[in-house]
Amino acid sequence: MDKSKNPLKVALHGMEERTSKTMVMYLQGPCRGAAVVVNDSDADVDVFDADVAGIGKLMDEHRARKPRRPIIALSLRDGTLDHVFYVKKPVKTDDMLATLDKASALLKKNQSVSAPTAKDSSVQPIVEKSENANLKSFVLDNDERKKTAKHQAAMQLNEKGFNAFIGNVAGIDVNDPKQFAAARYNPKDYFQGHVESAFKISREQGEIMQLNSSWSPVIIFPHNNEIWLDADDKQLRAFSGLVIANTLDGKISTTPLTFESSSLSRSLDKFHSMDAFLWKVACWASKGRYPISIDLSQPVYLKNWPNFTRLLITPHALRISALLIRGPRTLANVAEVLNIKPQYVFVFISAAYALGLTGQARRESDALLVQSTEIKANKNKGFLSRIMSKLRS
Amino acid sequence: MSQYKIIFTGPVGAGKTTAIHSISDLPPIKTDAAASDMAKSKKSATTVAMDYGVMNLPGGEKLHLYGTPGQERFDFMWDILVTGGIGLVLLLDNTRADPFVDMKFFLDAFNKFIGDTAVAIGVTQMDVSAKPTIDDYQVQLSGMGLKLPVFAVDARVRNDISILIQSLLYSLDPGLEE
Repeated sequence: MDKSKNPLKVALHGMEERTSKTMVMYLQGPCRGAAVVVNDSDADVDVFDADVAGIGKLMDEHRARKPRRPIIALSLRDGTLDHVFYVKKPVKTDDMLATLDKASALLKKNQSVSAPTAKDSSVQPIVEKSENANLKSFVLDNDERKKTAKHQAAMQLNEKGFNAFIGNVAGIDVNDPKQFAAARYNPKDYFQGHVESAFKISREQGEIMQLNSSWSPVIIFPHNNEIWLDADDKQLRAFSGLVIANTLDGKISTTPLTFESSSLSRSLDKFHSMDAFLWKVACWASKGRYPISIDLSQPVYLKNWPNFTRLLITPHALRISALLIRGPRTLANVAEVLNIKPQYVFVFISAAYALGLTGQARRESDALLVQSTEIKANKNKGFLSRIMSKLRS
Repeated sequence: MSQYKIIFTGPVGAGKTTAIHSISDLPPIKTDAAASDMAKSKKSATTVAMDYGVMNLPGGEKLHLYGTPGQERFDFMWDILVTGGIGLVLLLDNTRADPFVDMKFFLDAFNKFIGDTAVAIGVTQMDVSAKPTIDDYQVQLSGMGLKLPVFAVDARVRNDISILIQSLLYSLDPGLEE
């Protein structure tokens, strides 16, 4: 039978005017007129968008008024409610047509029996009663929005700004392969090692802790992944770059903070995310060197992309990430493939390693892989380069 | 001259229109209409056709920026929209009931396009709802066998959107020079 000669009459719910018009065209076009959109009072079937806020209440009301009218729900999720035919988004024409057939069959079945009263106890609520079923419960935290440093956009360093901002180590050319063996550092000799240790303790114990030193205390809030420090970047950079192993080690401690102390009102603009803080501290300790625990002869992997929009972006960090995310490589190979100074690879690896985002590939197969010194260029490379130039201008 | 474009997609209220506005050289052409249903609870207007913006490049070339309609009912328009696209920017709203479902939905919906190009994911509203965290998103992606750039973004901030697009471009070709 040609369905278009006897189309199912459907009413649309939970869709605004423009989308309703699109749905009308969709039923006429791809669905070949198997259904036609009519007013609610004339409809045989109801079609709901099941993902909109408040739809539960709307469906309940319709169900109470028209208990025998079939319902089709367009949904992102698999549905489980009785009396509802689900079509998963994105809507596929075959699925829609099959569902319209089912609705039509149910309609005929329902028309052959007498309609129950509104008090019919067999009618079940068809969706959860939730005014905002699609919105999760959260409390708008105005304080969170005032933590400007925590949500601050990333600073993107270029090569020219690197030495001034990150610093370098006197007496070593970290970019000279012959001096690579000396181009490493031990994070434990620096503030970085103490920060890492304090973060670990705080997270493991789930307690607010204070990292004490002869400098400003760092208060660690592990549940919110944030720290509080009353110092600016200039001061932090200076302290992070100092070797303190032989001078301050005995004076540095991590202690739990009392409830009274942790509840003190603090300046909101001095909160930072733990990751962004440690990342910076590691960059300033590294000064373009790599961590002592990295074996230069072995490849390193990148577990996942760092959250760059909230981190200090060192030169070429995005490129290095894009390359390493494809597979493990030695640090020297990364520098060679990207044609960049090794110091940019070393500083990136230092920061990513501090956050646990990189590690040494230990599988024998990784070491055996022949690491290409070339990468296949994208066919639109010239155009992509011009976009990049524009974005970084 | 070839026409290149980047597609911005994501659920209602994720910031697609704003992101395009942040990066476009011209005021974007918006096709918002008064919102109803879910959209009304999130913002006063929602995109029912598509947004358009443009970046003017040296030499007179243009990069076109298209935003998909936020309401995820149909996919037939998306197929047309992605033709000629060089990559996808997926924006997710962290205040939604289950942003992971949204993420999976859009990654599935654009699966073929992403396979041919690349995708970068921006998570908005993290200053309103801090969880799930970016790490949580990475865990979900890892379960899907994916390693994608996922960044916290404020769609109003050009720098955030710029870094997101840069990660997309480097995913296409790490050999691009800064």
